[in-house]
Amino acid sequence: MRSPFAYTPRPGVLQSASPGAAVAYLGALAAVAFFYSNPVVIAAVGAAAALAGALAGAGAAVRVAARMGLVLAALIVAVNGLVVGRGETVLARLGEWPVFGRVDVTAEALAAGAAIGLRAAVAMIAFGVYSACVDPDRVLRALRPLAGRSALTATLISRLVPVAAADAARLRDAARLRGPAAAPLGRAPLARRLLAGSLDRAVDVAATLELRGYGGRVPSRRERQRSRFDARLYVAAATVLAVAIAGKALGADGFSAYPSLEVELASPTVAVTALVVLSGLVPWRGGPRA
Amino acid sequence: MPEVVAPVRATPALAVEGLTYAYPNSARAALREVSLQVGAGEFALLAGRSACGKSTLLRAACGLVPNFYGGEVAGAVRVAGVDAIEAGPAEVAGAVGYVAQDPETQVVSTTVAAEIGLPLEMRGEGPGPRARAVEEVALALAIPHLLERTVDTLSGGELQRVALAAALATRPSLVLLDEPTSQLDPVAGDELIWLLRRLNEEWGVAILLAEHRLERCLAAADRVVAMDAGAVAFDGRPTDFLAWAHTTDPALETPAAKLFSLAGISPLPTGVREARRTLEATHPLEAQTASAEAHEKARPDVPPQDTLHERAQPPGLPGFGRSSELRPGGVRRAGQSAALRTSDLWVELSAGEARRDVLREVELTIHRGERVALMGRNGAGKSTLLRAAAGLIDPVRGRIEAPGGIALLTQTPGDYLVRERVGDELPGEAGLAALRAVGLEDAVDSDPRDLSGGERQRLALAITLAGRTDGEAVPGLVALDEPTRGMDRARRGELVGAIESLAGRGAGIVVATHDVEFAAEFAERAILLGDGRVIADGPAAEILSGGWYFATEVARILDLAGVVTPAQGATALRERGTP
Repeated sequence: MRSPFAYTPRPGVLQSASPGAAVAYLGALAAVAFFYSNPVVIAAVGAAAALAGALAGAGAAVRVAARMGLVLAALIVAVNGLVVGRGETVLARLGEWPVFGRVDVTAEALAAGAAIGLRAAVAMIAFGVYSACVDPDRVLRALRPLAGRSALTATLISRLVPVAAADAARLRDAARLRGPAAAPLGRAPLARRLLAGSLDRAVDVAATLELRGYGGRVPSRRERQRSRFDARLYVAAATVLAVAIAGKALGADGFSAYPSLEVELASPTVAVTALVVLSGLVPWRGGPRA
Repeated sequence: MPEVVAPVRATPALAVEGLTYAYPNSARAALREVSLQVGAGEFALLAGRSACGKSTLLRAACGLVPNFYGGEVAGAVRVAGVDAIEAGPAEVAGAVGYVAQDPETQVVSTTVAAEIGLPLEMRGEGPGPRARAVEEVALALAIPHLLERTVDTLSGGELQRVALAAALATRPSLVLLDEPTSQLDPVAGDELIWLLRRLNEEWGVAILLAEHRLERCLAAADRVVAMDAGAVAFDGRPTDFLAWAHTTDPALETPAAKLFSLAGISPLPTGVREARRTLEATHPLEAQTASAEAHEKARPDVPPQDTLHERAQPPGLPGFGRSSELRPGGVRRAGQSAALRTSDLWVELSAGEARRDVLREVELTIHRGERVALMGRNGAGKSTLLRAAAGLIDPVRGRIEAPGGIALLTQTPGDYLVRERVGDELPGEAGLAALRAVGLEDAVDSDPRDLSGGERQRLALAITLAGRTDGEAVPGLVALDEPTRGMDRARRGELVGAIESLAGRGAGIVVATHDVEFAAEFAERAILLGDGRVIADGPAAEILSGGWYFATEVARILDLAGVVTPAQGATALRERGTP
């Protein structure tokens, strides 16, 4: 089954744009998520990334990334709730635990964990959109003149991952099809077999790369394949970053979890939040003109 | 040795002189004193049994041997005048294209367009010339519709074409292909060979093609180079090769040549057209009815035509796809229990982001002791049917059951071999019984890696059988998925023996295969799948003589109902006699 994060060519703005422009736009959104602590702004970044992904046709990637991100966020909330005992609002006193010591679960610790988890989830959504919408071939082509060997390694790995995944699926099937009296297979022999097979596969893929001329001189000329959407994405990235910096200076990032929960919701925060959400519409392509 | 026919021009596309090579840590030389030239614009076929050195020679011709694989080498290899051993694969990449057997490891980019353009990019070509070259090679190979696809959504046949396109993108003077049709269905395989011939004629590209299924490509070749134990055993015209194979190595004979030699007709034909022309002169083919009668007399297992069930009909006609209760030859298998039963079977799989029905409304019964070939184009649903029978996939609707149990051997036998001693894979009495079932009881202490390809395949089959055999009993159904990939005729014969032995002991046998000649050898019944539905089901001799692509070479030559093997064809021709 094809991963929802696998790049799929579509006529969307993010797919058509040069990798630099798409990375700048999605990178600006992710940067805001890490730059801010206010969960309202971080949630706005998540909404913008999800909107951008949906408009680019990567709704499946957004959904799966969001699910994975929420699971991770729940884990962070639980760990933070158990490990951090700060906060005024004690929800549960769980007594003495062997490793943790005295465990008091506070609403503030859970909220702080939720803010951290939200940031992780938003980063995953942004990365999921990047993975599904930005052509890795074009990224590697852009990187090749700058770091030829690294690009070669990245190419080899990017090809070997799906090949190894297919090999692993086949080996699992073969293990299930063994007769009941055949020697049983644990995970270790299967992993060894997969590793040995992967090395053979790596040799084959590397041989193909050699034959494509990868072992020769790396072209030094940089290629710029522009798209009419590049300017839009660069402007959006610059605007989002500028507004985020200005908002930070004006106090839009007011958030503290301890000792009691305080979330800034003044006009600078609302303005930054609104603009960030609106930036999710940038990949909207629209229909042909009448 | 007959003389080389093709004119060798001033600079040959490939010149190999006294090449001897051994892989690292190998005592035996893979190539021994090999000398040959492939002229510019020549189409040469590389023949020989498994492990005779064909692949190694191709690797040497593109510089991978010894530069990439290491080992010891002596002699010289020149590609378009460039010393490939000295220069290495990256330097000769502009002059030679290479397409290997497994298309999975031959693509390194995400999209088809990027894959085809990569060699040009590596040569420093700009976007403009690159786009034009990609477009032209895509048009030449009829794949422009694939350019924007990602490589992980392509079928095996499409992937093989993309690999060929990438090899041709730099307009090389020589293209090397290592069994490129081994994973393709007969339709895609034939298309690929004629595509190569067209490129050879129109672009002047020299082709060196290694193949086991010689009947598929002999007619397209200018010349044949046969190898044996790392050395060139024959080098000459295809017709001379057939005469040489008949006397020296019959395993390399094509079905058409075998038909003619058994019937005592000469000259031996390189392909269907040549054979038909010869027969038009010696055995006029108009009298089909008389001939069919003659052949039926020659085949005691096939009853007269009027008792055979209907030939393959288009979908929707009465009785279509519902003939599985009929025993091949039209006789019901009274008293034999079912080995596989499906009822209104629908299986759905994901294809990219969408899901599609891979099997639709399949109704089948396969009985114990029956030998069945399951055929159809790539993606027709053959493997899916076997995987569903083994419980690896759940149907979305309907039922599939194998009442007596199933042993399924998937396409890569190596996946089953994990340990370093055969006895460790199959311990105890039950393990020994499974080894006995495939004739490998003497190999208990061997390392699986030391076994031949055919023995490894039988060992993998024993692993699937272990514990499912009880004394002399065998599972109700033994299923094999594409077992003859990359297999020479001699090893195929071993496999036919193993299949017959298991069927003789009561196992129903179903083999998913693209290999029509193999199907004709082992199967008594053939089922043809098309787009997930059963589109033909009946006696193998009928199905394999009732079409064009899914027909044996003998059937294509004689066009006689039920005549599929050289022996049957020769009998039919002898019955008719020489005018």
